[in-house]
Amino acid sequence: MSSTAINSNQLQVAREVYKRITANVSKVMQGQAEATRTLMAALASGGHVLLEDFPGTGKTTLAKALARSLDATFKRVQFTPDLLPSDILGVSVYSQRDQQFHFHQGPVFTNVLLADEINRASPRTQSALLEAMGESQVSVDGERHFLSEFFFVIATENPVEFRGTYPLPEAQMDRFAMQFTLGYVQPSEEVAILTAQQHNHPLDALQPCATVSDVLTLKHAVESVRISDELKRYIVDLVAATRSANGVQLGASPRASLALMKAAQALALFDGQEFVTPEQIQELAVPVIAHRLVMQPQAKFSGVTARNVVEEVLKKVKVPA
Amino acid sequence: MRTPPFLVGAALVFWGWQTDFLPLSIVMAAVLEASRMTRARWEFSDEDFSRIWTICTLLFLGIAVYAFTDNGGPARFGSFFQNPSPATQSSAGAVTSRTASTMLRWLPMVLFLFIAAQAYSTREDIPLSTISLILRRRWKRAAKEGVPLPGIRGVNVAFPYFAVCLFAASVHPADGQGYFWGFCALVTWALWSNRTRRFGVFVWAAVLGVAFVGGFFGQYGVGRLQNYIQNLDPRWFERFARNQGTDPSHSRTQIGRLGQIKQSGKIVIRVEPKEGVPPDYLREASYRIYGERYWRAGPSRESFQVVPQETNNLAFILIGKTNFSSAQITCYLEGFSRESGVPLGLLPLPSGSGRLEELPVFVLRMNNLGAVLAEGPGLVTFKAQFGPGLTADSAFDPSETISITNFPGRRARQNTQGRPPVVANPDLIVDPAERPALSQVISNLNLAPGNRVAALRTLKSFFETNFTYSTWLETPNLLNTNLTPLGAFLTRTRRGHCEYFATATVLLLRELGIPARYAVGYAVHEKSGREYVVRLRDAHAWCLVWNERLNIWQDFDTTPASWIEEESRNGSPFQKLSDLWTWAGFQFAKFRWGQSNFRQYMLLALIPATLLLGYQIFARRKRKRNRSTESELERIWPGIDSEFYKIEQKLAARGIGRRTNEPLMNWFERAVSDPDVATAAKSLREILRLHYQYRFDPNGLDAAERERLRFAVENCLKELNRQPTKQAAQR
Repeated sequence: MSSTAINSNQLQVAREVYKRITANVSKVMQGQAEATRTLMAALASGGHVLLEDFPGTGKTTLAKALARSLDATFKRVQFTPDLLPSDILGVSVYSQRDQQFHFHQGPVFTNVLLADEINRASPRTQSALLEAMGESQVSVDGERHFLSEFFFVIATENPVEFRGTYPLPEAQMDRFAMQFTLGYVQPSEEVAILTAQQHNHPLDALQPCATVSDVLTLKHAVESVRISDELKRYIVDLVAATRSANGVQLGASPRASLALMKAAQALALFDGQEFVTPEQIQELAVPVIAHRLVMQPQAKFSGVTARNVVEEVLKKVKVPA
Repeated sequence: MRTPPFLVGAALVFWGWQTDFLPLSIVMAAVLEASRMTRARWEFSDEDFSRIWTICTLLFLGIAVYAFTDNGGPARFGSFFQNPSPATQSSAGAVTSRTASTMLRWLPMVLFLFIAAQAYSTREDIPLSTISLILRRRWKRAAKEGVPLPGIRGVNVAFPYFAVCLFAASVHPADGQGYFWGFCALVTWALWSNRTRRFGVFVWAAVLGVAFVGGFFGQYGVGRLQNYIQNLDPRWFERFARNQGTDPSHSRTQIGRLGQIKQSGKIVIRVEPKEGVPPDYLREASYRIYGERYWRAGPSRESFQVVPQETNNLAFILIGKTNFSSAQITCYLEGFSRESGVPLGLLPLPSGSGRLEELPVFVLRMNNLGAVLAEGPGLVTFKAQFGPGLTADSAFDPSETISITNFPGRRARQNTQGRPPVVANPDLIVDPAERPALSQVISNLNLAPGNRVAALRTLKSFFETNFTYSTWLETPNLLNTNLTPLGAFLTRTRRGHCEYFATATVLLLRELGIPARYAVGYAVHEKSGREYVVRLRDAHAWCLVWNERLNIWQDFDTTPASWIEEESRNGSPFQKLSDLWTWAGFQFAKFRWGQSNFRQYMLLALIPATLLLGYQIFARRKRKRNRSTESELERIWPGIDSEFYKIEQKLAARGIGRRTNEPLMNWFERAVSDPDVATAAKSLREILRLHYQYRFDPNGLDAAERERLRFAVENCLKELNRQPTKQAAQR
């Protein structure tokens, strides 16, 4: 087992990586420690993230700050209704010189991909991301192209605008390990943001503090965090409870259980523990599970949200202690 | 969909208030709502719910039968099938509506077991397949074929039960607006909890208000309409509600009626001789005054007196005498008392009845003509003791006189104005209109007034030889004569049925100065096994003649003996089949009126059946508490023996309990904010760390760490124990 092979020294190293990146990001993202922590949990557990928030709350900045902090390739795609799958994946172009087709890689061949306003693209383009996110590979013209080992998608969407948008299909939603919001910061912190950006954007001054291999170390370390059978059962109970909850048409899948376990392992690592505790599971239950639930229309009308359902489930299912 | 707390309980109490089941409904509501307080739950399987549903269905059927019989259903429907007329139709309709309303009123009781099972089960809903046979079969088929089953297979019956309560409460005897406003309040409550958040409260309330106002005026209008129809013509409705059976005050004869007089072969009385000779006649009533077609009881009609009951005994003494014979008589009480609403009727009694035993009636009354009127169940079985000699009739009193101007049944065209009233003894009075024919017969027969024995003999042979019995009456040519129908019978047609013979005989005897009365009842002649059966067509009329030597009334029947044969010949070829049906009806009537023990047996049989079903459902199932199964699960997990739980218990005793969904760390943060615990925060944090490792690290604790945890907990407990004393000292 890899868990026994990895010693606590390696965990210590991985934790240092996490701390460096977090400290770097927080130089830009004042007052978003929680969001940064959640984002890092997704990164370390190998999942992708969907940020849903109002315009101007710093979604893009957070993604950029993370990308800048890593000594990794970063690409950004602004999703628009006329965006085509080939604009993301890449295209084969006929070369006059050697009279052959050459594959030109699209922006998806990167370490960190920021898919901005993902719900503005057509479902066809949205699903082009599907294979890339799920399998870490791209099939173009019947040929498979593998993505790099470290591939992290941060997608953003705007919850208030509906005109000219295509809500993400349920299958696509399930590919995202987490969905969370940033929310507005405290007034004092907002003042700090104004001060910081009075002359120039702090993002420009941000220096990389971790390499791709550091991130891979972090990911491996997360896999070695121990979790007891009882807590696995707790995760399964939580996810199963959403399937029979009131107002839910389609509950969360086992993929949700898996994502929740991995994310909790990452949090345990961040907290300096070698094993997962119930607190970490509870902390991430909402961002991991909520966006996967399909609500009944009546429930939507009566104001019940998926978030409420997960919170209710957390209250109902007995926590191991 | 779950009901808000106490809604169903309130609906039950409302139902009880409206239908006079208040104490019971309060108990039911308490039982149901107590499920919110207690955590005791049973684990019912689908099969158990089916069983409970079966019990409820059985109860429902039982109540249906009970309500139907209790409201006189079999008797009314029996008479409706045998004689479909508007009157029987309306009474059968009334029975149906009474039965339905009784069943509706009891519906919440019937279904209570089902809703209680849901309330105390571990599940929130009841599988749809227990209620619907179609769904059950469809799902079974789907399972066999491997087709996926629908996602929603259960239904919470709380709201349907709520609706049933409201519906049942609507069958309320009380007038007034209580029901309507209570209904509105409960519906508002139910809808409030389920209202959509899409519209504001104001819009919601306004829409509901409009619905209630519409409902109010709607029911007001329906009430007015009902009143209007009821007042349309009371007499027209009265026609349908006419009572049946022999009337002790008058008897309308078929004398003068044309065509076939048809009587059914329905068995109405059963007579089982117990001692002595069987009775020849069963008399229901006797009458004194005859006008055209009508016999009247005369001055005796209102003289009904209550017959005293022997103490602690269902025996009544009609007249004190020695009785040599006794017979068990079973008969129906056909009428309905207007005042008390219970069946009412004249008892067919053997002549010379002195004492009635085992007679299960409420009130027994008798007039001075010996007619005995009983109020009681619709079917009575009793023992009549009788013997020759004295009868219950009033003796002939020579000094009694009556003055009659207008004889009953006299046609309007016959001018009675200016005639002197006929003054005579009521047992001797003769309508002057009948006199010519009577005198003619008497002079032909050469009868001398006053000689009773000779007169009886002569009249008997006169009717036997010169007259024929017939229920078919051709048109007598009366147009150009002064003859009454009776006169025509005596002098010209010489054909007729018993009413002609009896009436003619009575009047002839009176004309000869011999007191006589007209009696109606049944002739007893058809033997069936040990008992005699009396059919409707055995209805008979005969005379009572005063024997001045013995001072008693004696039966005297001049109808030719062939009448019984004649009547039997009219019987239907399906007589046997009809008898079988009547027998079944008779057995059912016996059961329905409590004259057999079958009903008690049925109730007694229900108890073990219910107990058995209850045992299958409840006793075999392990009673389960919510907590117990989960603690079973806990026992499997490692580290469950951690000493940390002692601290948790300790703090919980101080009011810092942990919620079941609260992780330890969050609880710890909450606990250390308490000043008493804050001092122990450092050691607690260490204990918690060790405990967590013990519990959730698959590697667990090594022996030294395990010991450290135990030791730290001991210390911490000591410290916590000191805390309150320290604080007490500070105070």
